[in-house]
Amino acid sequence: MNAETNAVFRPPLDQARWLGTDPIPTKAYYDPEHYELERKAIFMRTWLQIGHVCELPEPGSFIRRDLEFAEASLLIVRGKDNVIRAFHNLCTHRATQIVSETEGRTNAFICPYHMWNFGLDGQLRSAPDFENFFTTKEDCALKQVPVDTCAGLIFINLDRGCAQPLNEFLGEYIVDRLEQAPVAKATGFSEYVYDLDANWKVDYDNFQENYHLKFIHPRSGAPSYTTDNPFGYPEQFAFHGPHRTQIFWSGINMDVATPTQALISGAGMKHAMEKGLIPNPTNREYYALFPNFFLLGSPTQHFSHTVYPLTARKSRGVIRLYWVGEAQSASELLAREFGFLVARDIHAEDVAVIRAGQRGLNSGALEHMHFQAMEGLCRHLYQVSSEMVQAYRDEAAAKGEPV
Amino acid sequence: MSAQHSLPAGFERLELFVDQWVTATTAERAQRRTDSTPEERQAFFDAAAPMLEQAIAYLDAKPLARLDDADKRLLKLMFSLSHVQMAVEVHREMEPRHAMLREIMVITRSATDGI
Repeated sequence: MNAETNAVFRPPLDQARWLGTDPIPTKAYYDPEHYELERKAIFMRTWLQIGHVCELPEPGSFIRRDLEFAEASLLIVRGKDNVIRAFHNLCTHRATQIVSETEGRTNAFICPYHMWNFGLDGQLRSAPDFENFFTTKEDCALKQVPVDTCAGLIFINLDRGCAQPLNEFLGEYIVDRLEQAPVAKATGFSEYVYDLDANWKVDYDNFQENYHLKFIHPRSGAPSYTTDNPFGYPEQFAFHGPHRTQIFWSGINMDVATPTQALISGAGMKHAMEKGLIPNPTNREYYALFPNFFLLGSPTQHFSHTVYPLTARKSRGVIRLYWVGEAQSASELLAREFGFLVARDIHAEDVAVIRAGQRGLNSGALEHMHFQAMEGLCRHLYQVSSEMVQAYRDEAAAKGEPV
Repeated sequence: MSAQHSLPAGFERLELFVDQWVTATTAERAQRRTDSTPEERQAFFDAAAPMLEQAIAYLDAKPLARLDDADKRLLKLMFSLSHVQMAVEVHREMEPRHAMLREIMVITRSATDGI
């Protein structure tokens, strides 16, 4: 048994105190007008995680990603020069969506309507009867979207004029940690996706507080709480600009694993060690990147979770477990199957209460809600989001534009 | 025993579970778990769990690329065991409610689907 198990646990009650203690206005969690402001102030102009470089293994590899909140479809492609670029999936002739496949490999993007032919760099290469048009090929390149990567994770920004580079947005600490996480070396992933009747913050907040663990995951989450730490609270919170991290309790009690679980998890640990993924400084760290991305640093259950807004009261979650290298043995595959299904089982347990929370909010009967000291990360997301909405209003006012 | 259903020597005891629990994909295994009765899950778990250690030792003795069809069937049985284990050992009487909750989590890709 880990000697740390016997350490006295002290929840980091003061680490989010700088955010204040005020009750939180609930309107931000159900109101369509507020959502519209968040959509414009945050999602239309912030770096958003959208994929991983392992999805673009060779020149010509592409993925299509539809972003409902923006009514946009994006193509992310690895060029012949190996550079990753992102474009709006639409023809510059009359805006027809070009690609219907979700992923693939190609030498060109050809619009099905009038056969306009675009290179992987977005340039219009040819178009039938182009001499009849009143424009130039140079003016007809695909509409480019800023894209960058960190630790293999692909981020896009729907603001074409975005000035802040991705690394600056993420900050030195986050970049450094992500680069050390297994995701930076990932070669594949397993994935599940859910659509939920919940505002993106209601959905997201569930996954950045441990207060609910013992009530909603009484059995599947049993290793997380002990007599020392009955709620399974994290050891530490930290704030990095708009982002936040927590470090999980080191006293997780793996003695509650059954013999079957111990055999499979043991194989997973062994293979992670062989691959040099353990020990890893990210092991117990959980990253919440503004606005909508999580990554759990654990090498054996290394998952990301992106929460996309759909409407004021609907969201979509994409959860991936990333794997480093091809599995070398049967037991390594078995550990991947198990790690994946356990994560899915646990995430599924959260669905009912998140939905119930949203239904309650939608009534408008509760004007303010309360975040306790150990729900400080939820408070931080509310404050950062509100500040960005306010900045957007101020910018519009300064320009004399309506918001 | 049909050739199609054969498992490697030493694992004959699990033969009667092949039809129900050997599937090509993780999504199918998750569905089989949901569609099964508590008795079916318990019977499979009781037979397969004691053989897990032996199955891992047997399968890990070969490189993955060298597994033959019988070996792959055994591996897929063990994949299904890992699903059924959650139902039998963790969720227990709560499994039917869990099955409903899980439906929303749609599996779109799994690292084990290629085997």
